[in-house]
Amino acid sequence: MNFEAVIGLEIHVEMRTRSKMFSSAPVTYGKEPNTELAPFDLAFPGTMPTVNEEAVRNGIRLAHALGMEIDPLVRFDRKNYFYSDLPKGFQITQQFHPIGRNGSLLIRTSRGERRIGIERIHLEEDTAKQLHFPDCSLLDYNRAGVPLVEIVSLPEIRTGEEARLYVEGIRNIVLYAGISDGKMEEGSLRVDVNVSIRPYGTEGFGTKVEIKNLNSIKNIELALDYEIDRQAGLLLMGKEVRQETRRYDEGKGRTVLMRLKTDAVDYKYFPEPNIAPIALSEEFVREAVETCPELYESKRARYIALGLTEKDAEVILQDKGMALYFDKALSFTKYPKSLANFLLGEGNQHLNKAGLSWDSFPLPPEWMGEAVLLQDEGGFQHKQAAEALALSFEQGISPKEAVERLGLKPQVSDEGFLLGIVEKVLSENAQSVQDFLNGKDRALGFLVGQGMKLSRGKANPARLSEMIRERIGKEE
Amino acid sequence: MGYLDLGIRGLHEAYLRGETTPREVAEEAIRRAKENQDNALEATCYEEALSFASSLGECERDNLLWGVPYFAKDNFSTKGVETTASSNILKGYVPVFDAEVIRRLKERGAVLLGKTTLDELAMGGTGTSGHLGKTYNPWDESHHRMVGGSSCGSAALVAAGAVPFALGSDTGDSVRKPAGYAGLVGIKPTWGRISRFGLFPFAPSLDAVGYFTRSVDDAAILLEALAGRDEKDATSSDKSVDSYAKYQDISLEGMKVAVLDDLMGTIPERKIAKDAGKLLSRLEERGVEVRHVRFGEEMLRSIYITYFVISCAEATSNDANLDGIKFGPYPGGSTYEEVMLRARTQGFGKLIKRRFVIGSYSLMRENQEELFLRAQRNRAKIVARIGEILTECDFFLTPASPGAAPLFDEQGDRLSDAYLIADNHLALGNFAGLPSITLPLSFEEGLPLGVNLTGRAFDERRLFRMSALVEEETGLRNLSVRERKEGRL
Repeated sequence: MNFEAVIGLEIHVEMRTRSKMFSSAPVTYGKEPNTELAPFDLAFPGTMPTVNEEAVRNGIRLAHALGMEIDPLVRFDRKNYFYSDLPKGFQITQQFHPIGRNGSLLIRTSRGERRIGIERIHLEEDTAKQLHFPDCSLLDYNRAGVPLVEIVSLPEIRTGEEARLYVEGIRNIVLYAGISDGKMEEGSLRVDVNVSIRPYGTEGFGTKVEIKNLNSIKNIELALDYEIDRQAGLLLMGKEVRQETRRYDEGKGRTVLMRLKTDAVDYKYFPEPNIAPIALSEEFVREAVETCPELYESKRARYIALGLTEKDAEVILQDKGMALYFDKALSFTKYPKSLANFLLGEGNQHLNKAGLSWDSFPLPPEWMGEAVLLQDEGGFQHKQAAEALALSFEQGISPKEAVERLGLKPQVSDEGFLLGIVEKVLSENAQSVQDFLNGKDRALGFLVGQGMKLSRGKANPARLSEMIRERIGKEE
Repeated sequence: MGYLDLGIRGLHEAYLRGETTPREVAEEAIRRAKENQDNALEATCYEEALSFASSLGECERDNLLWGVPYFAKDNFSTKGVETTASSNILKGYVPVFDAEVIRRLKERGAVLLGKTTLDELAMGGTGTSGHLGKTYNPWDESHHRMVGGSSCGSAALVAAGAVPFALGSDTGDSVRKPAGYAGLVGIKPTWGRISRFGLFPFAPSLDAVGYFTRSVDDAAILLEALAGRDEKDATSSDKSVDSYAKYQDISLEGMKVAVLDDLMGTIPERKIAKDAGKLLSRLEERGVEVRHVRFGEEMLRSIYITYFVISCAEATSNDANLDGIKFGPYPGGSTYEEVMLRARTQGFGKLIKRRFVIGSYSLMRENQEELFLRAQRNRAKIVARIGEILTECDFFLTPASPGAAPLFDEQGDRLSDAYLIADNHLALGNFAGLPSITLPLSFEEGLPLGVNLTGRAFDERRLFRMSALVEEETGLRNLSVRERKEGRL
């Protein structure tokens, strides 16, 4: 029997706003525990929530990016439960009126494009961070109240690969919209997976298993591939899939049981009485959308239109710092492809060596543009431009200055000068000319080499090659 | 007679004349508070109060609250002063911030002397469920009668003449009911008029900051100081603050007062109903149009249960922060569940637990439709009915309670209309978020009776105008037990 998987994803994204969702305490990561707090974050009696405008703006931007309907009235509800990491004994969330509904995300899988439906996104607040030790548990309230946006997909994902691509797509949106740093390893993007399987062609749902603790995008795919196989194996052996929560054990490469699920918790939702509904003006929504930084997909399309390969475009976009640098440097050159090559080659090389990231790339973008121009207009070979760039990194001087210091000479593209050399080469190497005419392409290389020798390396080899070709053609 | 008996305006004039100082007045207030035997106090901050009073310098002309001593109900967050809301679960809790009203009063130079008792976490109407036990009605020296709650301590201390005003909070009638029992003016302004930031929440959709004074004038003066938008309370209104204390120039002409006949009809023989009737006749003589309307008996009967379901549901959520982990006594335990269970088992009184169970029950998925949501729909229906009445009329007038302050062991018939309606109708003002004020009406065997006026949203100025007329007609102003003792009453 063949099965298909039914996968739904819940993604929690921690926003990088300046202050928390409902309090004025700053949003930080890695600070001394329990230092970034307002009384509200500890739920001191009498404290009240005030809605973070930037978080609402982020919600609008994300909803728009996912093609969702945006609720013009922002409302919040209480989700009531007792837990050690939940200071108020309830979480303020948007149960009844999520800020965005009915959207989708396009993913490009190995089997073609697919559009994954998204049920809703809603704004809420994070809980305190727990640190468990054998004899005690510690609570860090710095995280309590950090704005979250939860993105709930429809159960339309079918494979581990699709799940991975979906998460990557969401991460790219929140990253490029400036909503979050999207770091799974730091918990600013958290993924819960629900997966069940059913025989192909059927409409019902199998028993759902939840997988938690997925700390990298790669592990989402691995965990799902494993889990789908596991469930299929159980069914084929005539056993049943139990409703349970599992986690992914990275070392063993498999999912392991955390706990069996009993009846769902009753969160006793009701509208938050301390926040009056906020009517979003059309202007506010429009402005939020219009001022949203350029998103991943738009950049990708633009880069490809500039002549970059899909692969190069995606590699650059892998690193937001590089993409932003690329965009800045673009305004200093007409040769995007060369620029991309410099960034992916010399740029990355240098950063690796120096242990730096693209966010702190040491050369101003105009210098990178200058290096490209040296190559594409100045007659320097790529090797020479790279050499100059290396000195720029080393001494913090512009590539032009580096060229001078290194005494590099541009190659000559002057027609008159090159024409003389071409004439000489052709007359001295009649046999090779004949060989080329007979279809031996290699002969051209030989002729160009002779010309370079004659010019003592000064000739621009590309131009030289072109002219030899032209000349032979004319003689014919 | 001392300066404290003059009311806020009289005291201010004495300060301006240089007859006395905030420190002297605070000392006198402290002396009177210490003398009081009604079990009205939680924490006090007398030393801080005296040094603050001494630091006030020159009297600020027109800042009527300058140097005025007051008490606050112990459910207002007060920086550095223990605040327990009369519950053991908050024993030892010293807030790190001031409630907005406390901050404003401090800024104006009013002198906080301490915190007053309440029904535990403001839940209750008897003033008996706080962790310090019963608070007594100062008008009954034998200590057999309640002053009412939940703002019992504040009512007792103002009625005792210790301070010109005290802060309370009002979710169902927690200021306006005790005001009636204590011969005081007690007001709950429009929902959103005064910031609730720092008020320990009971049921935020109903909660209002309120206060007790001994005159309409003082009540109006205070509203001017306390009202206004506060960024820390997202539900506070940005409507401009009227000059409430200048209500005298408003014409009474054309003002209409509604009487709810079906409400009055539940207690026809009682003195309070008769006196309210007499008052209405006198208002008519003064040119006020009195209209008799029927609210709808069934709806009136549903007030109590509607209030109970909504308030308990909200309360069970609001008080979920009291879990022993972050503040209050830490009971220990090997799991977080154990810590919470112990803290809440030991920390809450029996009545509170009952309310939490009821609130939680009515919010449960399988009950929510039948209880919580049904109560919300009924609330909307009641609010709509109030809206109809207040479109025709400017105010409605009711007795503040079925009678004078009850004896502690008095068991009313909880299913009678006298109880279901006349004892619980003040929640109408909370349902609709309307300004509502209780004023002294008369006396019955030495105990005060109160009358209540409820007006349109944000129409406090006209409410004060009408209240001043009532005050004029009853002649009951600046009442306190001290006035009676000293023979001025």
